[in-house]
Amino acid sequence: AVNKAEEPQNPPQLGHLAIIKPLVYLTLRLSLPDALIRLPSGSRLCTRRSSGAAAPGSGATIFALSSGQGRCGIAVIRTSGPSSGHALQILTAARDLPPARHASLRLLSDPRSGEPLDRALVLWFPGPRSFTGEDCVEFHVHGGPAVVSGVLQALGSVPGLRPAEAGEFTRRAFANGKLNLTEVEGLADLIHAETEAQRRQALRQLDGELGHLCRGWAETLTKALAHVEAYIDFGEDDNLEEGVLEQADIEVRALEVALGAHLRDARRGQRLRSGAHVVVTGPPNAGKSSLVNLLSRKPVSIVSPEPGTTRDVLETPVDLAGFPVLLSDTAGLREGVGPVEQEGVRRARESCNFLATVVASVGAQSPSDSSQRLLLVLNKSDLLSPEGPGPRPDLPPHLLLSCLTGEGLDGLLEALRKELAAVCGDPSTGSPLLTRARHQHHLQGCLDALSHYKPSKDLALAAEALRVARGHLTRLTGGGGTEEILDIIFRDFCVGK
Amino acid sequence: MFYLRGCGRWVAASFTKQQFPLVRLSSDSAAPRTPHFDVIVIGGGHAGTEAATAAARCGSRTLLLTHRVDTIGQMSCNPSFGGIGKGHLMREVDALDGLCSRICDQSGVHYKVLNRRKGPAVWGLRAQIDRKLYKQNMQKEILNTPLLTVQEGAVEDLILTEPEPEHTGKCRVSGVVLVDGSTVYAESVILTTGTFLRGMIVIGLEMHPAGRLGDQPSIGLAQTLEKLGFVVGRLKTGTPPRIAKDSINFSILNKQTPDNPSVPFSFTNETVWIKPEDQLPCYLTYTNPRVDEIVLNNLHLNSHVKETTRGPRYCPSIESKVLRFPNRLHQVWLEPEGMDSDLIYPQGLSMTLPTELQEKMITCIRGLEKAKGVIAGINASLRVSRKPPFVVSRTEGYIGVLIDDLTTLGTSEPYRMFTSRVEFRLSLRPDNADIRLTLRGYKDAGCVSQQRYERACWMKSSLEEGISVLKSIEFSSSKWKNLIPEVSISTSRSLPVRALDVLKYEEVDMDSLAKAVPEPLKKYTKCRELAERLKIEATYESVLFHQLQEIKGVQQDEALQLPKDIDYLTIRDVSLSHEVREKLHFSRPQTIGAASRIPGVTPAAIINLLRFVKTTQQRQAAMNESPKTDQCLRNADRLQERQL
Repeated sequence: AVNKAEEPQNPPQLGHLAIIKPLVYLTLRLSLPDALIRLPSGSRLCTRRSSGAAAPGSGATIFALSSGQGRCGIAVIRTSGPSSGHALQILTAARDLPPARHASLRLLSDPRSGEPLDRALVLWFPGPRSFTGEDCVEFHVHGGPAVVSGVLQALGSVPGLRPAEAGEFTRRAFANGKLNLTEVEGLADLIHAETEAQRRQALRQLDGELGHLCRGWAETLTKALAHVEAYIDFGEDDNLEEGVLEQADIEVRALEVALGAHLRDARRGQRLRSGAHVVVTGPPNAGKSSLVNLLSRKPVSIVSPEPGTTRDVLETPVDLAGFPVLLSDTAGLREGVGPVEQEGVRRARESCNFLATVVASVGAQSPSDSSQRLLLVLNKSDLLSPEGPGPRPDLPPHLLLSCLTGEGLDGLLEALRKELAAVCGDPSTGSPLLTRARHQHHLQGCLDALSHYKPSKDLALAAEALRVARGHLTRLTGGGGTEEILDIIFRDFCVGK
Repeated sequence: MFYLRGCGRWVAASFTKQQFPLVRLSSDSAAPRTPHFDVIVIGGGHAGTEAATAAARCGSRTLLLTHRVDTIGQMSCNPSFGGIGKGHLMREVDALDGLCSRICDQSGVHYKVLNRRKGPAVWGLRAQIDRKLYKQNMQKEILNTPLLTVQEGAVEDLILTEPEPEHTGKCRVSGVVLVDGSTVYAESVILTTGTFLRGMIVIGLEMHPAGRLGDQPSIGLAQTLEKLGFVVGRLKTGTPPRIAKDSINFSILNKQTPDNPSVPFSFTNETVWIKPEDQLPCYLTYTNPRVDEIVLNNLHLNSHVKETTRGPRYCPSIESKVLRFPNRLHQVWLEPEGMDSDLIYPQGLSMTLPTELQEKMITCIRGLEKAKGVIAGINASLRVSRKPPFVVSRTEGYIGVLIDDLTTLGTSEPYRMFTSRVEFRLSLRPDNADIRLTLRGYKDAGCVSQQRYERACWMKSSLEEGISVLKSIEFSSSKWKNLIPEVSISTSRSLPVRALDVLKYEEVDMDSLAKAVPEPLKKYTKCRELAERLKIEATYESVLFHQLQEIKGVQQDEALQLPKDIDYLTIRDVSLSHEVREKLHFSRPQTIGAASRIPGVTPAAIINLLRFVKTTQQRQAAMNESPKTDQCLRNADRLQERQL
């Protein structure tokens, strides 16, 4: 990696180190791993969503990755609910269930393709003698992302199974009298933390193309549903304009095509980003790109002595201290430059806004004054003279690093490991793989529901199909209340007597 | 019949098992000689009549207090009952043996089911009602209800006493004080004052306090309620001027004829009192640009447009329609007001212009709806007999949706039922209201007659039997095609097809199915209603399977009742944010399910509440109490005890 500080011009004066240029602020921001956008349990009811997805605590069977995030030898995937046994039979392609509460080695394969997924230990816990009191299955699979992702998707394809809501396993256990009150003490905090994490995750994931698409689809669908509902509730009594239903038909048809194309498209437009998000940010020419290249051990970003070399957000997946990390290089934060770089600065700030954990403010250079999880790194420590004064004493806690010599790298990695462990170590934050499974689950569910729309001549049935479809989409985008529908009805139509 | 002519304007329907003393209701009467009832209902409108008769059906000695006995059963606004969503409510009220459906079957002049082509889940039973007949029939029914006493009188105040130990709250209501100073005591008091609670009539810029046109408003009671901490608001609603029948040229208008045959509202009726050919038609006409012009030129004379009170979005005045959707022709239905009435009700022309331009009225207050009347009556009565309250949840009926919406979320406009408000619309249909509510109404509330109960039981077992028989008959699709040529079944399917699945096709009904497979299906076509209901069950069978799962989930949450005496603002055992506390304090949800529907109440707060409920239950179980009964909030109580 090339260090910009190699440039001889304007050599730093030690006395100035704390104040200006050569001393570089590198702020490393860490975000939570790409957790599930699991909506908080019960949130469906908060806004009186339509009857799309099943309510927590209902007869549905739920599944989730219950082991922690990060690299591990074995990952544990758990299911709970009446279809657990069925799911186990389907994945193991067996007629019989293994003996209860005994570990058995089984070959898991994808029920759709028959493709083998993994040789795994499976445990069958028939209710009520199980963690939740319901029928439960545990799959102990090898910890690679491909295997975990494959098993989760396979489970998602079994009818009656869906990804779990935040805290849903615990809540079911509680409902079935499997937890005493002290054990539940922490549950509210846990769910609160998850909800917060998910809110940010949802924000981050729903930014960009996919989010745009989802919101657009949800809007179209809400409007189509509102028009069908208006036709049901007011069509006979009031004079709705001609062609209300026809218009809804056309919109639903178009939506079906768009969703189908999206699901078939292997590229998926913008892939869901996975891994903890680490953003390198700071003033221009601080050595951000050098650090990114150093951490990823490959020349990801072009580095040059010229300030403002990086103009876009460059993301690269790396393995940092055993954690999957998405490392972002950003444009240096400064004002009064050309439009291209300004856009780069805007994107840099934006990418910081998605972060879960919060940034401590570093003087005027901080891209946002929210307090995100932050490591302050002072680069170019090789320019400090050993016997001269250190950096300004009033700086917040910081690390010294030289991208040129590699000095301080071990310390930085250790600090990063601690931060990552803090944000990734909590198993409750969920897995990015499950997030993807969830997206697919709901988009596919939406598409399936839409396919029931047209053949139905019974308008109540047709509307039900749209309600279910909308329920799936709004679980990804939020919203979805009945009032929203009524608002559209009264906005678009002159109804009532 | 025993009429209590001696006491002012008493009109007693019958005498009660325990005779109350015949005394004049005067201020000087000593307390022990004061009449005492189980339940008092204040207000003789739609809600009041349902509440009073429901309480009496449950076996409570009930007093109905109203300003004027001769206005009982008066229809203030539209001369119609039912409609989409509202027809569902009427079927549910009927399933609980309520009055309005039966009275409508005796008083209609034009019966028509709306939404016929849109699926039985959203059919809307509706009828134009003869105002005079309805009032006559309603009064006859009310005055002949056993255990029910009707008295004229204006209520000035509530009698408040110390709360009972098992019902916490600031105080309890133990009777009423009338305007003349006399008192009447009762275990429960139900308020169904509707628009009369400090109502206002607004015509143009003129405003004067009033109840219905020509009646007095209830002002004292409003003050008492405010003293108790209730928020008394004012909503507005409009009504159109009536038009003389002989001044209309019907020959140039679109005519709408009633259904033939008429579909009755009540489960107990096979048909309505009047033949379709004797019923009156409705006519349709439209507004024109001249109407827009009058409205726009006279906005300055119109307090409706000036004031900020929120009117109903779904019942807009012609002014609102013109302002919001200009340059359009708006529909006006001309509806008969009765067989021998000279008036026509122009539905769609509500307005608030001054009299000389148009007549117009506005009144309002947070109103208790007619459906609530039945439930309030039942629960007041159950409270008297110390039984757990009868609660209808969102998953059981439109009544449940209505009560949950009004009590949990409140309302800023007069409430109107839509089918789109109902999450489980396909399960909560007009055809099956008896299965949903009659059985429970009989067992849990005792408000349903033996005859109605037996009929509902027979229907339920016949339906279940019919469905299982239809499931058991399986043929290949090609055989079905041979048996019923008109069915559009695809013969490429190799799996056998159940008769129930064949019945789903639009072109198939029980008659054609029974013709194809006479044994054992023939017997299910003998009862018309049964045959039609089997067809409806088949239509929704596959979708309902999924909905049932979800209903189960919601019911689990609904089953967890929140203690009613919980003070959210100060309670220490639950960790809740200040914002959530205020929301809960304001809404006072009855169950965990209702709490989770309040916008802004977080999932974490719900878990904390859950924990609190469980702890309380355990503590109470330890104290050898029946937690279930004590935990329950009562719908009827809430009015009295909420925030007291």
